[in-house]
Amino acid sequence: MRQGGEPRRGHAHDGELGAAVARAQEGDEAAFAVAYRLVQPGLLGYLRGLVGDDAEDVASDAWLEIARDLARFKGDGAGFRGWSATIARHRALDHLRRQKVRPRSSALEQDVLDLPGAYNTYDQALESISTEHALELVRGLPRDQAEAVLLRVVVGLDAPAAARVLGKRPGAVRTAAYRGLKRLAKQLGVEGVTDDGPRTLGESK
Amino acid sequence: MGERQSGGGSTGRRRVHPDGMASGHASPHITGHASGPTVMLDDAALEALLSAAVLRGHRVDAEGEQRAVAAFRAARDAGAHRARTRRRDDWRPRAQRRFARSAKTTLSLFVASLALGGAAFAAIGSSGSSDAPAGDKDGPTESNSAPGLPAAEPSSAASDAVSGKPGHPATAQDTEAKCRAYAQVEERGKALDSTSWQRLVTAAGGEDKVAAYCAEQLATAAAKGEPSKEADGGGATGNGQGSKDQGSNEQNSNDQGSNDQGPSHQGPSDENTSGKGAEKAEKAENQG
Repeated sequence: MRQGGEPRRGHAHDGELGAAVARAQEGDEAAFAVAYRLVQPGLLGYLRGLVGDDAEDVASDAWLEIARDLARFKGDGAGFRGWSATIARHRALDHLRRQKVRPRSSALEQDVLDLPGAYNTYDQALESISTEHALELVRGLPRDQAEAVLLRVVVGLDAPAAARVLGKRPGAVRTAAYRGLKRLAKQLGVEGVTDDGPRTLGESK
Repeated sequence: MGERQSGGGSTGRRRVHPDGMASGHASPHITGHASGPTVMLDDAALEALLSAAVLRGHRVDAEGEQRAVAAFRAARDAGAHRARTRRRDDWRPRAQRRFARSAKTTLSLFVASLALGGAAFAAIGSSGSSDAPAGDKDGPTESNSAPGLPAAEPSSAASDAVSGKPGHPATAQDTEAKCRAYAQVEERGKALDSTSWQRLVTAAGGEDKVAAYCAEQLATAAAKGEPSKEADGGGATGNGQGSKDQGSNEQNSNDQGSNDQGPSHQGPSDENTSGKGAEKAEKAENQG
């Protein structure tokens, strides 16, 4: 079972999103609201990974720009995700730059250190991992890995689109996402599960 | 485990999972214990887990939506929605983008090649304008005569002294072209080492005689000038005549200039074949 029935979340509504964007570009504001509802969750998740609690403000700024520049955009639903993610990222980087001037202690990183260790099963991992925990874990990754993971997993971009958002090569983004996921898996104890499990296929260990 | 939950899990923890995540986590969990190769599934499951966990915490923000829609309305009413698409706004699939770009690239390449080709054509036309019409009409073109040159020049000169051959004018024009070029590269040393220059020097009978030889050749060319090229060949003819006088003097002193040399020099408008024949005869004499 190659997770065939599990579309990457972002891809599920791309057709609908593309149609909504097209209508919005013709001036339909209800269609724009539809596009907002489809894109905002992933965008906000990405921004929370980048800027933490300020994500909502940054997202709000990003949407103002998206609303203003919508007519410039060309592409389909998946393209719109990438385009909006690029705008949101720019706003987030601006925000971080401003923040660097007056830094503040982040309570979040402390939480990451307090995270429980490896879980024994997926069930436990799933039950115990909250949104905050997941984001904290991701934020604990190196920046490029965190962004690659978020763009691919949460926003739902494919490697080329994520690479375009980040201004990198697709191969580099793929590698970063892979490493990030590996690291997260280790932190979640997922690897412990598979390693400890009985190996009925006779794979040498 | 209980204390773990009490710490951070209180905020976003929910028992209700989205469907996709439930299936995403259940299957690798089961197969993970049944069989070994679960690494691939783990990645996918982990992605599902992550995205579900992150998105689960999303609450609908009606206010934000209103703000965005208001901004959209304002931009639409202000006419901002007629702005041009910048490159960073073009998120069409790669193939389409590439097609659009390649069409543009092709067009600009085409225009550039036209311009360059035109420039090259003009350059060729200006340097070879005088020999083009004659060469086309009465004999092999340069490309024809070029391979046969080393042998052809002395021998044809000798035989042409007796009887005018159709192959002859092309050689003369070739020489003439070289002479024109010679005037231009004279100062810049290396070009004169090449084979074709050696040939020219040989034909002239010595490096110091090239100028004289060329002067004659150019004068001859001017002499047999046809009505069609007199207009634009005027400048070249004048030059040829200017240097011709020295050349003829030198020639005269060199080889006791034969009598029939006279008419060809004095009369640029003289009849073609006789002048030409005389030149060739003299040349053969020079080399012999």
